[in-house]
Amino acid sequence: MNKRSSKKKLRDAGQGYLFMSPTLFVLALFIIGPILYAIFLSFNKVQLLGGTSFEFVAFENFSRIMEDNRALIALKNTAKYVLIVVPCQTALALILAATLNAGLKGEKFFRIVYFLPTLTSSAVLTLIFMWMYNKEGLINNLLEMIGLPGYNFLGDPDIALNAIMLMNIWATAPFFMVIYLAALQDIPDSLYEAAELDGANALQKFFYVTVPFLRPVTSFVVIMGLIGTFQLFDQSYIFSGGSGGPNNSTLTVVLLIYQYAFKSLGTMGYAAALAFALAIIILAATLIQRKFSKEESLY
Amino acid sequence: MKKKWLAGLGMTTMLMGSLLAGCSGSDETNSEGSGGSGGEKVEVTLAGWGGNPSEQKLLKQTIADFEEKFPNIDVKHEVISEQYMDVLKTRLIGGEGPDVFYLDALEAPALIETGVVEPLDEYVTEDFDTEDFEKPMLEAFQVDGKTYGFPKDYSTLALFYNKKMFEETGVEVPKTWDELREVSKALTKDGVYGFGVAPELARLYHIAQASGGEVVKDDKANFASSEVVEALKPIVDQHLEDKTSAQASEVGANWGGEMFGQQKAAMVIEGNWAIPFLEDTFPDVEYGTAELPAINGEKGTMAYTVGYVMNAASEKKEASWKLISYLTGKEGMETWTSKGFALPTRKSVAEKLGYDEDPLRGALVAGAPYATVWQEGANLPIIMNNFNNQFIAAFLGDRPLSDALKDAQEQANSEIQ
Repeated sequence: MNKRSSKKKLRDAGQGYLFMSPTLFVLALFIIGPILYAIFLSFNKVQLLGGTSFEFVAFENFSRIMEDNRALIALKNTAKYVLIVVPCQTALALILAATLNAGLKGEKFFRIVYFLPTLTSSAVLTLIFMWMYNKEGLINNLLEMIGLPGYNFLGDPDIALNAIMLMNIWATAPFFMVIYLAALQDIPDSLYEAAELDGANALQKFFYVTVPFLRPVTSFVVIMGLIGTFQLFDQSYIFSGGSGGPNNSTLTVVLLIYQYAFKSLGTMGYAAALAFALAIIILAATLIQRKFSKEESLY
Repeated sequence: MKKKWLAGLGMTTMLMGSLLAGCSGSDETNSEGSGGSGGEKVEVTLAGWGGNPSEQKLLKQTIADFEEKFPNIDVKHEVISEQYMDVLKTRLIGGEGPDVFYLDALEAPALIETGVVEPLDEYVTEDFDTEDFEKPMLEAFQVDGKTYGFPKDYSTLALFYNKKMFEETGVEVPKTWDELREVSKALTKDGVYGFGVAPELARLYHIAQASGGEVVKDDKANFASSEVVEALKPIVDQHLEDKTSAQASEVGANWGGEMFGQQKAAMVIEGNWAIPFLEDTFPDVEYGTAELPAINGEKGTMAYTVGYVMNAASEKKEASWKLISYLTGKEGMETWTSKGFALPTRKSVAEKLGYDEDPLRGALVAGAPYATVWQEGANLPIIMNNFNNQFIAAFLGDRPLSDALKDAQEQANSEIQ
């Protein structure tokens, strides 16, 4: 009896897996396989072009990261970028959402206007911003009009990364704004009424009702923001034409990975090690964020 | 129960089957007509980057001529417009590389080293006449005595000067770098810079080596040596102290040719590619060209060349060679270079087309005998990247030149392993 039932169970399970097999096959081929392959690559010295060769080097690729000056610069740039962009875009998204939810006139119109930057492809946005930042561009012309000297924003290493930050905050905040906007609809009016009865003003209502109630959404927004900003690539790529310049100021970790993987020959293994290290950093950052935000503690 | 199981299996096989079929569908068309002999048509793929429309038309014309001459070979021309080397390398790794492709001399040594480029010596026949090529350009594609490609064209650098500005200021075209600095001072006024400079190794290489220094030594970066730093110092000084030179981005242009066309610089150092650009985009600018100013009494310039090479994994080598030999042969090269978008690397073609007499291109052709070809071993791309990255910091005055170059050299050599 026992044996028979276990056989039946096995058969049922087999049937289940059989039905799942197309999906499993696709997942294994396009997601799990490449991840495993990348891990394999990160422990080898790889030459893909010509006679493909793999040479097992254990942790050499990882120890090389520690000695690589550019990797440290890239990590520093990326960390600076994350630390500034994530709080700014989260705060901006929340403020935008709150104002749009306040029942002002022309709310729908502004909703669309605010959302437009997110709909535009980031490559196009970067190009538009580069024209604006140009020595003869919009911003410099405006400065000139009010009698201030122009500035070469694109050529100055101290400015370049900030210029990208500004653009990215402006472009991604509306996306998170929409998420906040949806969450705001869920806050029951009774809470606000109760607060009003207690004599809370608008600002107090915002800080003591809205913000705490949105905590799980904030947590989501911050995690998505962290992942997105750690993986900054396209903007700095377009900005610097792929070099990470001027003077390594727009070099990000993903851009560095790209350079090692495709620009120089025979460093694919090192690039994979960098990618793996980045994944661990993002994972750690996300875990730390979760620990601090206490997602579950909603009243 | 059993039926259900079978049905499940059937469904899965069908799904898997269609998936696999989807993957393999494109293979069949590719494997046709290997070998190249026989009556059937052979398709050869030719990959390169795009040029301006008139250049593209000229290449199409050359290919059409070839197809007429060899009716059983079809040429499929593919344009890779962005990130040419990345795309090409990826395709070569994936076994989907083109049969024939452009290869910049700069990238040639590293790619040849990997063995993906076919040596062409055994294909070459007597009447192809390899002696006819300009030697330095041909040598750019030779490693250990084997020839891996033939240069399709080249360009050197020349000094482009704005005739009107020179007339108004009443100065002569500079013959030495010292003169250039003096002249720049007179020309810099009203938002116009005397000299538009490109702070990149590709343009500064011959200057860097002018005082006897070596930028690359034993395949490693060596540009922090005192001779090189000393040779490059005037470029930085002119920008920071004289304030008579600027890079293109400082005036809102993308490159020297544009800066010159917008009349924001009275002089730039550019190559043949700037001539059709200026003609098309800024036809009103009156300008002349001259050989580059001499340094320490010696003339110098850079030469950039691109060759046609064959994929070692190609299945249609005979047909591919026919294409290469036509494109770099006397007939094909004459068509390709006939409009002057590119300069011919064959002496006989150059003589026939007479570009040395051309008022604008004469200065470029004159530079060919003493030019330094932009190529120095497999590691030059890495060395160049690091140099450019740090040189700009010195150029902008953020840090002293010798420190910047020392850092860049260390970084470059740590990447070369």
